[in-house]
Order: sequence, then structure tokens, then C-alpha cells
Amino acid sequence: MYCSKFNSSSSRREFLSRMAYGLGTAALGSIFAKNGYAADSLKYMATSEPKAKRVIFLFQSGGPSHLDLFDPKPEMASRFGQDIPESIFGGQRVTGMVSDQDRFLVVPSKYKFNRAGECGIELSEMLPWTQTIADEICLIRSVHSEAINHDPAITFMQTGSQLPGRPSMGSWVDYGLGSENENLPAFVVMNSVPSEAVAGQGLLSRLWSSGFLPGKHQGVQFRGGKEPVLFLANPSGIDDGRRRDYLDHLGSLNRKSFEKFGDPEIETRIAQYEMAYRMQTSVPDLADLSDEPESMYELYGDEARKPGTFAANCLMARRLAERGVRFIQLYQRGWDHHGGLHNRLPVLARDTDRPSAALVKDLKARGLLDDTLVIWGGEFGRTPYGQGDVKPTEYGRDHHGRTFSMWMAGAGIKKGHVHGASDEFGFNIVENGVHVHDLQATILHQLGIDHERLTYRFQGRQYRLTDVHGHVVKDILA
Amino acid sequence: MGEQATLSFNHDVRPILSENCFQCHGPDAATREADLRLDIQEEAFKDRDGSIAIVPGNLEESLLVWMIESDDAEDLMPPPDSNKSLSDEEKQILSRWIEEGATYEKHWAFTRPEKSEPAVDSPSPIDGFIKARLQEDGLELSPAADPKTWLRRAALDLTGIPPTVDDYRRFESAVREHGESAFEIEVDRLLASSRYGERMAVDWMDAARYADTHGFNNDSERSMWRWRDWVIEAFNRNLPYDQFIIEQLAGDLLPNPTLDQLIATGFNRNHVISSEGGIIEEEYRVEYVADRVRTVGMVWMGLTTECARCHDHKFDDFSQEDYYRLYGFFNSMVELGEDGRVANAYPTIPSPTLKQQRRMIELEARFAAAAHEKAAVLNRADTAESSGLSLADYGQQVAAATPQPVWKVSSSTQFTEAAYGSPDESGPFIPGVVGYALRSGPSNGAGSIAKGNISVDKETHAFTLAFWIRPDESVASEVPLFSNAQFEREPSSTRYGVGWDIRLSQGEIELSVAQRYPGYSMISRTRNAAIDESEWRHIAIRFKGKADDPYDHTPSSNFSIFVDGEERRLETRYDGLLLPPEVKAFESYLGSDLRIQGALYTGLLDEIQQFDRSLSDDQVLALFRSEALPYLMAKQTASDLSESERQWLVAIVLDQKADSEWLAARDAYREVRGELLVLDRSIPTTMISQDREQVRETFVLNRGHYASPGKKVEPGVPEDLIAPWPENAPLNRLGLAEWLTSDANPLTARVVVNRFWQHLFGVGLVKTSEDFGVQSEFPSHPELLDWLAVDFRESGWDVKRLLKGIVLSRTYRQQSRVFPELLAMDPENRLLARGPRFRLPAETIRDQALALSGKLVEQIGGPSVWPYQPEGIFEPIVVYANYPGTDWLQSEGDDLYRRSLYTYWKRTVPYPSLATFDAPEREVCSVQRSRTNTPLQALVTMNDPTFVEASLAMAQSLLDIETVPFDQRVREAYLTATGRWPEASETNILLAAYNDALDSFQKDPSAIESFLKSGGFERENEEPSPELAASALLMSLILNLDETLTKG
Repeated sequence: MYCSKFNSSSSRREFLSRMAYGLGTAALGSIFAKNGYAADSLKYMATSEPKAKRVIFLFQSGGPSHLDLFDPKPEMASRFGQDIPESIFGGQRVTGMVSDQDRFLVVPSKYKFNRAGECGIELSEMLPWTQTIADEICLIRSVHSEAINHDPAITFMQTGSQLPGRPSMGSWVDYGLGSENENLPAFVVMNSVPSEAVAGQGLLSRLWSSGFLPGKHQGVQFRGGKEPVLFLANPSGIDDGRRRDYLDHLGSLNRKSFEKFGDPEIETRIAQYEMAYRMQTSVPDLADLSDEPESMYELYGDEARKPGTFAANCLMARRLAERGVRFIQLYQRGWDHHGGLHNRLPVLARDTDRPSAALVKDLKARGLLDDTLVIWGGEFGRTPYGQGDVKPTEYGRDHHGRTFSMWMAGAGIKKGHVHGASDEFGFNIVENGVHVHDLQATILHQLGIDHERLTYRFQGRQYRLTDVHGHVVKDILA
Repeated sequence: MGEQATLSFNHDVRPILSENCFQCHGPDAATREADLRLDIQEEAFKDRDGSIAIVPGNLEESLLVWMIESDDAEDLMPPPDSNKSLSDEEKQILSRWIEEGATYEKHWAFTRPEKSEPAVDSPSPIDGFIKARLQEDGLELSPAADPKTWLRRAALDLTGIPPTVDDYRRFESAVREHGESAFEIEVDRLLASSRYGERMAVDWMDAARYADTHGFNNDSERSMWRWRDWVIEAFNRNLPYDQFIIEQLAGDLLPNPTLDQLIATGFNRNHVISSEGGIIEEEYRVEYVADRVRTVGMVWMGLTTECARCHDHKFDDFSQEDYYRLYGFFNSMVELGEDGRVANAYPTIPSPTLKQQRRMIELEARFAAAAHEKAAVLNRADTAESSGLSLADYGQQVAAATPQPVWKVSSSTQFTEAAYGSPDESGPFIPGVVGYALRSGPSNGAGSIAKGNISVDKETHAFTLAFWIRPDESVASEVPLFSNAQFEREPSSTRYGVGWDIRLSQGEIELSVAQRYPGYSMISRTRNAAIDESEWRHIAIRFKGKADDPYDHTPSSNFSIFVDGEERRLETRYDGLLLPPEVKAFESYLGSDLRIQGALYTGLLDEIQQFDRSLSDDQVLALFRSEALPYLMAKQTASDLSESERQWLVAIVLDQKADSEWLAARDAYREVRGELLVLDRSIPTTMISQDREQVRETFVLNRGHYASPGKKVEPGVPEDLIAPWPENAPLNRLGLAEWLTSDANPLTARVVVNRFWQHLFGVGLVKTSEDFGVQSEFPSHPELLDWLAVDFRESGWDVKRLLKGIVLSRTYRQQSRVFPELLAMDPENRLLARGPRFRLPAETIRDQALALSGKLVEQIGGPSVWPYQPEGIFEPIVVYANYPGTDWLQSEGDDLYRRSLYTYWKRTVPYPSLATFDAPEREVCSVQRSRTNTPLQALVTMNDPTFVEASLAMAQSLLDIETVPFDQRVREAYLTATGRWPEASETNILLAAYNDALDSFQKDPSAIESFLKSGGFERENEEPSPELAASALLMSLILNLDETLTKG
């Protein structure tokens, strides 16, 4: 398949060859409808009206502690240092980091939880800004994953499989819906730099890889600094005039080649060089925050002035959303608090709390929240028991995938709502579990995609983001 | 496409049944509905309670027809909720097939290929088959391409490097003179070039998931370039492809495998390996085994085996049990689930390059001669000569040069009870080298050193440990000497075996230091130390301190073992220790350890001492001699010196005398030993395959889960489906390789020739080159595929011969011009009515630019290199830890310009400019790249410093040739980039582009200056000239032409 990266210029040839070879019908959406949705006849579309035109996923890598941020457990307060009851633990597998631990001792959160907003959702004092958007979010306290270590868990959340090789969620959406903006990629990834050097797990380009989907659905990394997209800037000494002349002559020669060879691929290439040229203007414009008024920094915080911070990337995310980028993926690292949780968690909370809340407010003020789905969460939560030595003021928590919390906002998701519940130790789910595949099915559903029908044939079978699982979580839809 | 007389089950019918019906009525018993199978004739024809799914020739009676045509959603097949539906055409095909008698056929790929005659006669059967198919649609081959076009096409396909102007001229005149034979000579020349192996290796590196890092979130460095170089070499020497399979899959199981055959088995180890702390070992070990099954299935069987990992295959008659039988071949490999945090994962071997092997032979010969000469001098010398000298003075002198230890156990009476346990019952008063010795007994060892006593250099963590041993005659073959390794912890713990462990093992000293045993450890042992019973020997262990280079690839090179004051050559088994190691944290046992099993040391120990620094070689020697000398003198007086003791003493005496003959012999010996130690440490290791002595039992894993074993199975292959097991083949990987390469195997040769076809034509004869199962695409030219497969096998799996045949075919030599009618009819050029035309692979695009610029440095093999990469690519992604491979260490000089296959490949952050052109991450096996056309690619070839610098260098050499008119030079540049001369109108555009740029630069001198500084380009002439800048921009333009980026 040869076709343009940013689909709207896709040729009729692509369409024909897809039809002829039955390679799947996705991405037709972008051929037929630049700014809206694909024709109703497309097989993968959900029957319901799409609510989200785009997604902003604020991924918190490392596994933020649900017990210290989102899921208050007052019953644990009096049990410091006691064994987790066997009835709760139930012989669950633990990671190798605690496998030679004889006892698993309860460590209650030392943070206060406040009822926030009119809805009264209880949120940790570590998240004062998130408290201010309580009435906008749907907090899910019953997400669960099958993986207990970072690499498989983050891969599972982002690709639907614990193992490498599958396309990422953003690539699936790009493949399914294409771009709303022909000057920008449909799937943009921004990795944030924490404000303090905190130990972070490695990220993996597979998290934004197109896997077996065509390579053009790969997420494009936007970086902080003067060259947001790699190799965007001309070599020094080559100004716009020289580049324009160059492209004009290049285009003339390529058109000569087209006359000679008749290969439509040559026309596509000419178009892609022009697209690259347009990106040389559109991307720096997009990344240039100088037109943002002072009020924006009051909203997102001063950190947003520093390129590459989570706050700056949240502001960028809004700009990308305004310009119709389909899937905007942020990563914040550093939530892996096996020890020293009380020194490290506040740093991460400070880095992410305010900008996340600001983004939701900003989108709302601009009327974008109605069709933008914002998601906040990591690959798993953390254990109610301590890892290693446990002292009242000094402990850490191990990985915990049996239940953890995430929030969503906008695009037809219930507001000021709590979904699901965990037991009194935040260890097991007691109500309305949301499996990672359910979450993925729901995200696609909001985009108007039936997760069972967005498929791609590879190695003789139809693959999909949710494998053979996943149910849309209807209860969180407004 | 043409109307057939009767329908073919394989071509027309099975794809419909497979796609729409087999999910519920196919091989998987677990999800089978209504107990009906449609993939087997007898089952489909069976009468079940009066209804029959398929009655041959009878549409009325066939329930299937009724159900696919049903208007009632309840009855309709496939059911609406399955997301599957049949088109009218598909329904008609099924009906027509039943009318025609519903003949079943075995799936084509599982039947043995046979050679048939093409329906159209042609000198090359390849062309015969292609023409025959074209004729069915009233088409014919396009005219032959210009010889230059063919030359470029063949050169890029076979060597990855474009021809030069001279190559084109030479070839054109050869064609004029010799006609057809010139082509053959040219192909032979290309295939004989060592560039051929480099080009062919790239695709195989994708398939074999080669990388320079382990993958997963730590993604630290591994060293597998010896395997990569083996692949290059295998293609270059045209290793028969069956051997290529056998050596990679099972080289270790061949009789007396060579080093090369062992290196080849790295194929089974190229998969990703996790070092994430806290993973469950078995879970990942199982994944590695599954990865091997997947890879072998994809690259040589063309089967999507992993579909049967959790349940029976939905489409192919390949059950879950079949899967685990195949899995059984790989399940007994020695390996760890968590490994590879700082270096290669166990097991590894030292894998000296050919050059190193030659040097080793030379140095070892010199070493033997020097040792012989040294011994001869010592033998000739008489100990009596010492009588005139004051050895006592010498002793004092040596003692003064010896640093003070942090602690020392010099006899049982000197150490406190608290720190050192009570001596063995046989009493403390046994004479030692100095004073009394310690006795280590079979039940208690010789006590311990409390953890508080041990201290190391505060900054570097360096330290030295020294002691004397004299093993009893009855000493066991494997005993601990000094150990604080924490073997009492749970083996699943992340700290299992942490600490130090020094052992006497079959007469050698073995040192093992671990953070976690054995994954993150180093284990080295002396060679030829020959420590005999009942002799005193001096042992020193030295850690020279935290490595200077935090990305030290061989942690073991920071450790030394001395015996009798002389540093020994070491053999290193594991080398994955993160430096610096811990030593202070634990109580250390003498003569015993914390293992549950194993004999303790029986024998004497003396002068056990530890220094909080790294002693120099001279200091270790001085320490040894200072303690030995009084002892030797006493024994000399008693005429009781053993032969080795006599030599120690004579050496001291001759040193003291500064005997010139001795000094020459001694220094020669030391020098060559030093060179050998350096060479030993420079030898790369590589990961290899090795089977456990005891076969690991294999169980079906329910739902593929590592902790849910079901039925036990024996290793085996799907014999009924594919081919019988070869007689007398061993039931291991070697047997599997023999089965794959057996004449009876219908898959391997087909799958392999199809991939080579894909390499040349962009698409395989079977488009789904990774899947030949029933869900695969039916071959575009089945008879051609079979002919090629049989011919390949009959030729002795001769790859060069296969490629030569294809490249010389008329089919390959066609023009690639695309006509609109043909495009509409055959958009992917599957019928091959024109030559192949598609974008070059990532590596070739970069290599071509380097070659055209003259910057390319051609040097085959070696460690991977780090060409230009913009800053800040790694930082936002890689783990926050100092593991090797977490920084981009940009190369300097030649290594910036090596061929792209040598570029350091980090799986989680693949080299951006190659990844942009669809190079896969190589986390998993991949046999087909996507070929996209994106604006990000335009940005790479216009702006990446590698390409900018290439343009500048091209411009420089363009301006240097002053004997040829400028426009002719531009035309030549165009020729080398595209394989054709520009037409007059094109030359005009090129010159206009140059003149526009020249004008513009002349008006803006500062732009010239800054442009010419781009990349690492070093200008040869002093003045920044607008001509150079404008030429460079023109050369960049040429590098960005569609025809340059495309094989046409």
C-alpha cells in the first residue's frame, strides 16, 4: 500500500486497490470525509452517534498509587503494620521484588481525602487542582489489568496485548478515522520531562508503533524545543526562498519522471514533499506558544513555559486538539514508587495535577470538551501493603493490577460520577470491574467505532485492539 | 481474470470457507458448532439426523446452500453477529462448486511441489510461467529495460550500492561487444562482491529479530554482532540454504561444532529478553520459547503457529498439542527468564573474530616459547648461587613495598572469637607459610569474617583479597574458599546469590560475583593454574574499582586473579555484573558457604588478608614473595624445596642479581602474557543456544499461560499435515532442522524462494509471505513457485544460483513503465507485465547517498556504529539508569559513514531516519516491511545531517573535476543517482535549479558559510564559494528525486 501519511490526499488508486484486494476498509473515512466521519456504510462504525472527535490520553507511566490519589480507604487507617487478611490476598501472584517477603503489611495512605465539587467525589489532598474539575470527570475505581510488571502492563494498556508486535491505540484510531487536518499527523506523541530527576521506567517506541498496520499510522513524536518534529528544520543557510525554489525544481523533475514512468506513486511523492514544506510552517506555528495569553500560564502554571514539561505538553495538547489532531498521547514518567513514596509522589502530583485540570477547563471554555475525550491514568495501581521495610513515614508500594483508578472527561462521558469500587484495602474489585479491554472498547465507542469491527488482517486472521474481548462500559456514558 | 472450466477448491473455494466458516466449523474442536466440520470432506458429507451439509452435485439437498441463502436471520450462515457475510459472488461460487461435485483438495502448500513445464516455451522457465499467465489475460511482457536501468536495479537488489559512472560505461560497452553474456558476467560480479552479503543480511536481520539491545523497558545492550557477521559471511560464501537453517537452528548439536556454527545458533537467542526487576522468571522463559516457535514458524514453515498457543488453530489443522510439541524442541534450552541487564544473557561464548583468532594463535605460540625459555633459565640456575646474597635484606625490602591490609588472619590465635569461629578439632597449631595455618574441615569450614571488617576504597570500591591455600589430598573437586554469596535467599528473589564466591574447582580458582545469581553476575576462572593437593599456593583476587567506562561491556575485565603472584588468563562464563559489586554487606565464610549442598574445603588456609584498594601487579608479587621468602629459605636450609618452590626462590635470587639473561627471559614472558591478557579481554562474547543435560518436560499450557500446565507432550512435528519425521533424526532442534530441510517437506523451499522473490519484485508470489496456511493468499503463479522451490532444493539450496536465474530473466529485465489500463487491471503488478518499481529500503536509501558522495566507508562487520542522530532522541524514552545502551554515543570518523546495517539498533528507540523509512523495531520476527510514502521521509532526505553532508561532499567532488564541463558533471551525478542520463529538458531544469541557488547564495554570503558547516562536512578549499553551496543544494535535490529513492 502506498499512500499519503496524512490521508486526505490519498489517491483513488489506494481506494481501488483496497477494494480489489480486500485489505480492509478502514481509513476510507478520511478519503470520503475530511472533517467529519466516514460514511455510515463503513463496516466498523458503531451504530451510535460518535461523541468524540479526538482523544487526549494523559498517560502516567510507572503506576500511580490509587490508594494515595483516588481511592480513599479509611478502614486501613487503624491497621498500619498489620498483615493483609488472607481473605483479601487470596494467594494472588506477586512480583519478584516482594516474593521473598514473609509478610505483607498494610500501609494506609497518609494523605487526606476531600469531597470535591457538587458531586462530592473524594479525592486526595495531593490533587487539589483535580478537585476543581471533580464535576467534569468520571472516576473509575475498578480498572484492572492482567499484567503485574511495567513493560507488559503499559504495552497491554496501549496495544491490547502484553507482548510486543501489535499496533498502538493511537495507530488503530489513525487507521480507522484518519486525520482532520491535512497539515498535521493524526497521531501525535509527547514524552514529558519531569521537573525533578525521578527514576523512570523506560518507554518504548512500540507504545506508538503501528505494529502490523501500515507504517504511516505510526505516532509522530513531537518534541520540546525548536525542532518539534525531527528533521523539520532546513539546514542552516537554506531559507524559505531557497527551499521553495528547490521544491519547485524538484517537482518539475519528478513530474518528468511521472511522464516517463506513469507511476502514481510519483504523484504521491510530489504531494508529500509539498506536505513536508507546509509542515515546516504549520508545526512551528503550532509549537510556538508566544501567542498564548498570560492567562493561560495562570491556568496551566508557570511550568508550561518550559518546553517539554508535562504542563507545556498539556497546553500543546490543547493546541493540537484545536487543530484537529485525532489522537494526542502524552507520557509522564516517574510514578513507580517502590520506596520513598512520600518524597516522590508529591513531585509527580505537582507536575501533573494542575496542568491536567487546566487542560480540562481550557477545553471546556473553548467548547472542545464536548467532542474531546480526556483520559488520565497509568498501567496499574499500587499495593495496599508495603514493599521491604515498613515505617510509618517511610515506605513504598509494589505494583498492583487487580484494581486501580483512572479518570475520563468530556465527549459523552458521565460527569461528576464514580464508577466501580474496590474492597476496603483497594486490593480487589467489589463492583463493576473495568478490564483494560473494556476501557479500550469504550474509548473506540466514543469515537464512533465498534471495537469488534475495526480489524486488520495480518497473518491470516483479523486482528483488533481488544483481541477477542472487551465490552463497552455503558454505565459511564452520559 | 480468465474464466475457468471448473472451479478449483484450493484457489476458489477454500478461501471462502476458511474466512467465513472455519472459525466455528473448522479444526478447533473447542469452538466447533453443531459438531460440523467443513474443512474435511468426510465430515462435510456426513449425514447428521437426516441433514447433510454438502451433497455433491445436489444443491437442493445441501443444507449449506440453504443456510447461506436464508432470509431468516436465525438460520442465516454465517450468522449476522459474526461480522462475517458472503457476497453474492461467493455464494455463487460455493453453489457452483457443489454442483460440480464438491471436490476437496489438500491445501496446496501442504502438498509436495512438483516441477512442471511452463505452457509457454521460453529459455528461462521463469519467463515461461510468467508469460503463460499473462497470455490468459491477453497481456505480454514489457520491452526490456535499458541496460543501465537493469544494472542499477540488479546492483541495488544484490549489493545495496549503486553502480558508478564507470560501471555504467563498462557495462554498456560490454553489452555492445558481448551481448547477452555481459549480463551474466555482471551478475556474477555483483554476487561475488562482499557487498552482496551485507545487502542480503538486512532482510534476514528483520526476520531473525536482530538488535543491539535486549528490548523491553530496560532495553540495555547486548553484543550479537558476531552473529550478524556470520550471516553476512554465510551469504557471501553462499552457504547452502539447508545448512543456513541447520547451523542457526542447531549448530550446537552438530558433532564437534565449530566456533562459527556455535555463533550461528545466536539465531535462537535474538529474541527480546526482559531484565525488568520483579518479573516472574518462568513467565518470560515461556515467552522466549514461544518467540522461537513463532519465528521458526514464520520464516521457514510459513505458518502462524502462535494461533495454536492458546487453542487449536482456527483455520489450519494445527492443534494446540501440535504447537506444544513444536515448542518442546526449544523448551530445553539453557536460559533465564530475567537476564541481560548490563550485558549478554546466559549462555554466551567468547567469540574471537578471525583476526583475533589468528593473533591468539600467534601470541599463544610466543607465550609457550617464552615460558619455556623462562623455565630453562630457572632450571639452569642453581639455588646455591644465592648463598652470597642477603635474602633477608631482600625480604625486608619486599615487605616494605607491601601495603598494609585492612585485616589479616595470619593464624588461628590472632583473630578474635567474635569475628572468627573456633578452629577445627584437629587443632590450631599446624605450621603455615607464615606462623600457623588455619584448618578448614569438612563439616564447618574455617569460620567467618564479620561483615563489619571488610572495607573497600570509598570512591572506586576497589579492593584486593589475598590468601594462601594448601588443599588436603582428599579435597573434593568443587569447594568454597571464601564466600558471602546469599544463596540462602529464595531463588525467585531479586537478591538471590548476591555477593562474592571464590572457589577451588578442579584445580582452578573460580571467582563469581553477583547482584543476582546467575543473571546479573560474572563468573571467571583461571586456566591452567593446576593447583595440586598438598602444596602451598598464593591466591589474590583484585577488583580494580568501578569501571572508568560506565558502559563497560565486559564487567569481568575489571577483575583479576593472581596465582603465586602472577596474573592468570581467565575464562569467563557469565559477564552480566552491574558495577560496582557489593562486598561489605555480608559475613564472609572461609572454606564454607551458604549453599545448601556441596562439599566444604578441606585443607589449610593462611595469611588471609584484605586491602581497601587495588594492589598493583608489583605489589601483589611483593606480597607473595614477602610471605614466601622466609618459608622458602627455611625449606632450602632443610633441603626440602619442591620443584615449584625452588623456581620461586631462584626467580627471587635472579631478580636480586639482576641477571641479564634472566631479566630478558622474564620480561619477554611478562610482555607476551600482558598482550594475551589484553587480547583475552577484547574478545567479544556472543549468545548461543545450548540444551540442558536433562530435557525439560513440556506440557500443553492451558490458554497459553505459563502456570497452567496441562497434558504432557513429547517434542514433534505435524507429520500428517506437513511431512514425516526423517528416519533416525534426533528428537531435538537438529532433528527439527533436518525435517525442515528434508525433501519431503513441502513448505520450507517454497517459503524461502518466495521471500527471495519478494526481495526482488517487492511482492512474493504468495503475497502473505509470512503465512502459507489456508488463510494465505493463493499464489499468483503456483506452478512457478513450485518450479522454483524444487529447482532450489535440487540445486543444493544454492541461493546465488536462484537469484542469478531470476535477475537474468526477461521478467526481471522489463521496463517498469506503468500504463493506466494495466494499473487499473493489476495495480500491484502481480502479473508482472512490467518490471518491479518501488521505493528503496531504508538502509539502501542511506547507503546510496553515502556511496554517491564518496563518504561511504566499506568495512565488513565489527561492533555496531553510532552515526549522526539528533540530540534528545534517547532521553525522553530510555530508562533512567546507567545501563549500557542508554546513551547515544555518537561515533567519530569512519564509523559515521558505515553501511546502515551496522547502525546501532536499539529496539525501543530505533534509529529515526531508518525507522521513518519503515525499518521495523525488530522486537518480533518480521518478513515484510510496509512501504510508505510520507512527508516525514521527505524531511529526512532533505534535512538529516547525513544527507546534507552527502550533498556537500558530492558537490565538492563535482567541483573538483575540472576537466569535464560543468553540465556534463551534473549529468553524471544524475546518472549515478537514477541510472539514466537526464533528457535535455531535465538537464535544463537541473541547471536552472543550480543557477537559482547560485544567484541566491551570491546575494547572501553568510548563508553560504552556515550551509557549508552543516553536518560534519569539512571543506577542502579555503573560501566558502557560492558555487559549492549551490552545487550542494543541487546534489541534495538529486538525492531527493523520486527516481533516486526508487528502484525502477
